[in-house]
Amino acid sequence: MKRRAFAAAAVAVPTSVMLSGCLKSSTSASNGGGSSGKGATKSLTVLLGDDTNIQDLWQNGLIPGFRKSNPDADIKIDFDLHSEHSEQNLAKMSAAVKRNQSPGFDITDESVTQAAQADLLVKQDASKLPPLADMPKTVIAQGYGAGVPYRASSVLLAYNTKTVSSPPKTLAELLAWIKAHPGKFTYCSPKSGGSGGAFATTVLDANMPKNIQEEMRVKYDASLEKYWDPGFKVLRGLDPYVYQKGVYPNGNNQALDLLASGQIEMTPVWSDQFITGQKNGQIPESVKVHQISDPSFTGGANYLGLVKTSPAIDLAQKLFTYILSPEAQTLIATQIAGYPVIPLSKMPESIQKKFADADPSDLRENFFGDFGTDLNNLWDQKVPR
Amino acid sequence: MTAEAATGTLPQVKRPHTGRVRGLLMALPPIVFVVVFVGLPIVNAALYSLGHLGGLNSTTALIATHQSRATHWWGTLGAYRDVFSQDRFWRDLTVTVVITLISTGVTLVLATSIALFLRLSGSVISKGLAALSVVPQFIPVVIASWAILTFYSATGLPRTIAAHLGFSFPIWGYTSVAVVIGSIWTSLPFAVLMIASGVQGVPDAVIEAARDSGASLARAVGTVVLPMAFVPIVIAATFTAIGIIGSFTVPYLTGPNAPTMLGVSLTNFFQAYNQPQQSIVMAFVVFIVAALIGAAYVWANFRSSKDVS
Repeated sequence: MKRRAFAAAAVAVPTSVMLSGCLKSSTSASNGGGSSGKGATKSLTVLLGDDTNIQDLWQNGLIPGFRKSNPDADIKIDFDLHSEHSEQNLAKMSAAVKRNQSPGFDITDESVTQAAQADLLVKQDASKLPPLADMPKTVIAQGYGAGVPYRASSVLLAYNTKTVSSPPKTLAELLAWIKAHPGKFTYCSPKSGGSGGAFATTVLDANMPKNIQEEMRVKYDASLEKYWDPGFKVLRGLDPYVYQKGVYPNGNNQALDLLASGQIEMTPVWSDQFITGQKNGQIPESVKVHQISDPSFTGGANYLGLVKTSPAIDLAQKLFTYILSPEAQTLIATQIAGYPVIPLSKMPESIQKKFADADPSDLRENFFGDFGTDLNNLWDQKVPR
Repeated sequence: MTAEAATGTLPQVKRPHTGRVRGLLMALPPIVFVVVFVGLPIVNAALYSLGHLGGLNSTTALIATHQSRATHWWGTLGAYRDVFSQDRFWRDLTVTVVITLISTGVTLVLATSIALFLRLSGSVISKGLAALSVVPQFIPVVIASWAILTFYSATGLPRTIAAHLGFSFPIWGYTSVAVVIGSIWTSLPFAVLMIASGVQGVPDAVIEAARDSGASLARAVGTVVLPMAFVPIVIAATFTAIGIIGSFTVPYLTGPNAPTMLGVSLTNFFQAYNQPQQSIVMAFVVFIVAALIGAAYVWANFRSSKDVS
């Protein structure tokens, strides 16, 4: 959801998606209606708005895994590359729920927080979904009582080893490095990509009282935004030292391109995007990543939401239970290098080792709900010239 | 243009009643289309910008943040106040207008020069130049913007060549200069076609007459050719300006983070800040500016239809 790197493509009007979505919903509803009523629907559509690695994860990992114990379940994927149509899908969902119809998909990973706020999703708690009991409070809170966290990733500092021999270890060191090496660092604007958002959030956090930081992660209160001012001053102060004296690229990918082509030497990057990028050669071998500390870059969970008016609620709950099992979480950790959302102690030993340095339960969440869009807005007002 | 010209030439003809009905029926599909698919959404958006959050706007209002709700029967000006009190908005508006003026001006100068060269020389070079200037029409804007961005970036061709020769060429990627270059690139083909056709329409006899009575070439162009091509030039200017003022792709891909052109800025408000009401307010501002430019077009049309009769 936050990865929506390419708003440019929003120029396209995706009527075909809507049409195909409508068709699916009617067939899935009639399939289950036969003998045992609505609760026994065996067909389910999951709307995914990510990169293709997530599509692979579902198609070759999670769905076959789930079908082992539920052989008659028919799970379909409605794939929306990079969430380019998330606005339309959200509008479709809210219109469908209002008319008490299915929007054509049952589970979504797009716009979950917005949908949960607008009360379009089935409420979730530990009594329905026991693994939720073991998750950190801030992670649950950001799902607004309806979003189910199912995988997480964090932002890391990527640097070019050809030019940077000893990368900064803390945020303070990083800020000093940026000023000492003008034009060699940049981050994407927060509205265009989560890696830039994480950098901005981390700087704001470092300049804010601890209790306010925690408050801003569990509820939305616009009056708290005044505590951002010192952090924004720091970000504004970096402007002359950033790439080309204040150029912030659009999206995670553009920032990575600048790093890969050697125009900059350091930039924040999503953990899973980095791993995928090095696998497919987009990021050269000479680029390495590590997490800074005091404070660390934020990360976050990705949520799934179950549409209120879905005809396949029981099956969807079963799928959620499976996805939060150690077996499915292992698939996520191995296939896309995603952070598991259940406690590491419940995971196999090899996974525990892999994430020993970056404990997912220490993951620093982003600010709560609408703070995100407000941060985009204020950053645009206060930081670039 | 043609419709008005046609009615202008036939004002006295009395038509039978049935013909009038048939005419109305023939015009009905486009009218209905415009009313349903353009008119209603505009009215709806205007009501939403005034704080009427119910009815057809309720789905949008459910998700949007920082909305103003109507306080009077006619609504509220809350969203307008919200937008107009932001320095950023005025900065973006200024940049939009300045970029539009510069790009339109340069486009017109370039297009007129090519048209005149083609008209007065008629050589292979002039024809080749005119054909070349239409090429951008066939290259998608997204691809052209990306090419412009890469070309003028820190590692682009001009900088590479300049570095080899020992001096430094400015970086234009992610600046308003790149936006101006991109806007000129996308607007040039239409302006050249429009103005060239206008200039080609000036009869040889008129130019020769001016030359025979002792006018220099420059004087013949200034007092005969350009005034006779005035209407197509105004039309090219208005279309270019309206196209640039509402552009999105070029400034989004090649421009700076701030200040941005309003097309980018209102998309940000709509998506990134989740403030559709404010976004619509800005859209209305763009609409008003475009309408002012459109007034020049209507005036030119009026003039041309008078010329015909």
